Amino acid sequence: MKIYTKKYELLSAYVDNELSEAEIKRLEDEIRFSKDLQEKLNDLKKVKKLTSSSVKSVPENHYFDTRLSAAIRNDGPWFFRIRKYFPIAGIIALSVALMVVLKVNPGIVNHLLEKQKSNISDFYKQNLKPLLYAADLTNEDIFNFAFYHQLPLDNQKHQYLFLGTGQNGNQFFEIKNGNQFSNVNNLDKFVKGLNLNSVQKHQVDSILSNYADDLQSQVLVNEKNTVAINSNIWNYNKAIVADLVSFAARANREEMRNVLPAGFNSYYNNGSVARLVSEVKSANGNKYIFITPDTIFSDSFYFDKEKFKQNMKRLNDEMKKMNKNSENFSFNFHIDSNFVNKTKIPSYNGEFKIFVDSNSCLIHIPQVFVPQIQYPNLDSMATNLGKAADLFRSFSFNFPEMSRGKSFNYKYSYNDSTDGYKFNFRAFGLDSTFNFKDHKLNSMTGKDFRRFNFNSPDSLEGFYRSFFGDSTAFNQKEMEKELQQVQKQLEQFQKQMEKLQKQLPKNQKQGKDHKSIEI
Amino acid sequence: MKNKKKKTDVQLPQILNLDDDFSLIKRFIDGDESTFNLLVLRHKEKVRNIIYLTLNNHELVDDIAQEVFLTVYKNLKRFRFESQFTTWLYRVTINKCKDHLRKIKIRSIFTPIKDEEEDFGYSISPDEKDIAEIVRKAIDQLPEKLKIPLLLKDIEGLSYQEIAESIQCEIGTVKSRIFRAREGLRNILKPYESELM
Repeated sequence: MKIYTKKYELLSAYVDNELSEAEIKRLEDEIRFSKDLQEKLNDLKKVKKLTSSSVKSVPENHYFDTRLSAAIRNDGPWFFRIRKYFPIAGIIALSVALMVVLKVNPGIVNHLLEKQKSNISDFYKQNLKPLLYAADLTNEDIFNFAFYHQLPLDNQKHQYLFLGTGQNGNQFFEIKNGNQFSNVNNLDKFVKGLNLNSVQKHQVDSILSNYADDLQSQVLVNEKNTVAINSNIWNYNKAIVADLVSFAARANREEMRNVLPAGFNSYYNNGSVARLVSEVKSANGNKYIFITPDTIFSDSFYFDKEKFKQNMKRLNDEMKKMNKNSENFSFNFHIDSNFVNKTKIPSYNGEFKIFVDSNSCLIHIPQVFVPQIQYPNLDSMATNLGKAADLFRSFSFNFPEMSRGKSFNYKYSYNDSTDGYKFNFRAFGLDSTFNFKDHKLNSMTGKDFRRFNFNSPDSLEGFYRSFFGDSTAFNQKEMEKELQQVQKQLEQFQKQMEKLQKQLPKNQKQGKDHKSIEI
Repeated sequence: MKNKKKKTDVQLPQILNLDDDFSLIKRFIDGDESTFNLLVLRHKEKVRNIIYLTLNNHELVDDIAQEVFLTVYKNLKRFRFESQFTTWLYRVTINKCKDHLRKIKIRSIFTPIKDEEEDFGYSISPDEKDIAEIVRKAIDQLPEKLKIPLLLKDIEGLSYQEIAESIQCEIGTVKSRIFRAREGLRNILKPYESELM
């Protein structure tokens, strides 16, 4: 039985084609002569066929792959399971590393920032040259700088640097397009207003020219569109004002006493102005504020004025070229609008506050690096200097409107002044002839007052000698003569009228006879 | 020249076999885990069939197949390339099926096999008309150790050598078990002899 079983196993393997060629040959010989083996072979073939044909595909779950992926994720190696936390872990590790670095070396960030700042500042400091070359700055420009705090940034005077002080005392720069005041020839008006003679005028010019040389190193520019402004420029502004006012007071003290507020007149006698000017000029003004297209920063910068002077000749050629460029010089504001909006937020605590619009760039400077200079009588004088400047402005350009009537008042007052001026003018008797109705003193702005014998605010009483609005001038005697003539003519006319009146009843009687009178 | 030819001979099979099982496994070991999806796609049908024919329960197929591939995924990086991937895969599949059968305590249904006559002691209802269903039920009544080699041979088409490696036994044992499985199947199907045979 066991032998047959072995034979049947061979038959089964034969059906599966798992025998060697020798085994096959030997088995086939046996099968050929054994009916039992033949029947068994047939049975095995049939069973194999039945088994092979019984396969039925099992419908696959649609989510098999998804479930398998999820199972792999959930049951994978530990690092596979935590792989999703790798980004967070990385951030945490980075933060910890950063904290450790900062703990060990707390100044590294500041160092990097300073290094970066230094790189930026070095880049923008390259090749800085004076913009306000002496030859370009006129005395008029320096005068306007003193009293109106503005300097032209280009020869064409398209852009101005304006120095200002806000209501909260913060000082600021402003680069504006176009002139900010319409009146011109202010220096000339100043000279004429003080009735200075030619020698005194020359002295004023000399004072202003003296500052032109110093001012040139206060504003520097380069081809990278950088404008570097020395913070000492504020002191120069005050020094020029003090110098001019002091000179004006010496030249015409009477006029100045009438013009300047109380307390101001005393300082110019004690040599304080000379000291102020001297201190300003000798101040170590190496602190510049750099306004660049990318940023605004303050840093030390040494401009070698002496070297500049020595190389003046050589620089002169370059400056000529520079002048050519500066004709087209225009500070371009490439500040991102988002940044502009940000800087308008009041809580912005940056070192600078920048306000940019299409026409100007206003830069508030909370920390002004103005060299500390001891002003003489600083408390009163520094205030008075500013007031004096304002006073000149009113004096020169802003005459108050004149009241109507038989007399007009020119009232001059100042907030901090104990002096007030009220001029009562004798008006002309003939209102119909001299009608002041539409005339304003402001209309005299820009006129040559000396032609009208009008030299100062004090001499306004002589104003009645003149007519407004035309070029005809009369002296008092001529006027009186004319008036007497007119008066005589009027008297004659009155007499004739009276005579005619007396004659009128007669004519009326005669009219009854003649029935009518034709006139 | 000789070296060049040799180089070509070496490179050519690599290019041709880029997507065979070994190449996919190598790429998986190298970190390209997307190749595992290709292995699953390629072999899941056979794995599912073995599970189904072994357990004769289609509801268990997906769960057992998932366990199979999960086990393969975990151990694939330790694959030694000494045998066919399918051999290892089928062994894993069969082991999973065995584990499942053990778990549900159906081991008792296996009847001790006698060397002489094998009386399986069960039958199929004579009313069964679906021949394939009758045969599957008959196969299901076979003991596990006979049924699996038979299925691997007649359904999956594996060689005796592959079957021996899959179920980790000798080729002679495989040969014997397949014959006994067929004999047992023939006895079970005797009532339908006139219709089937």
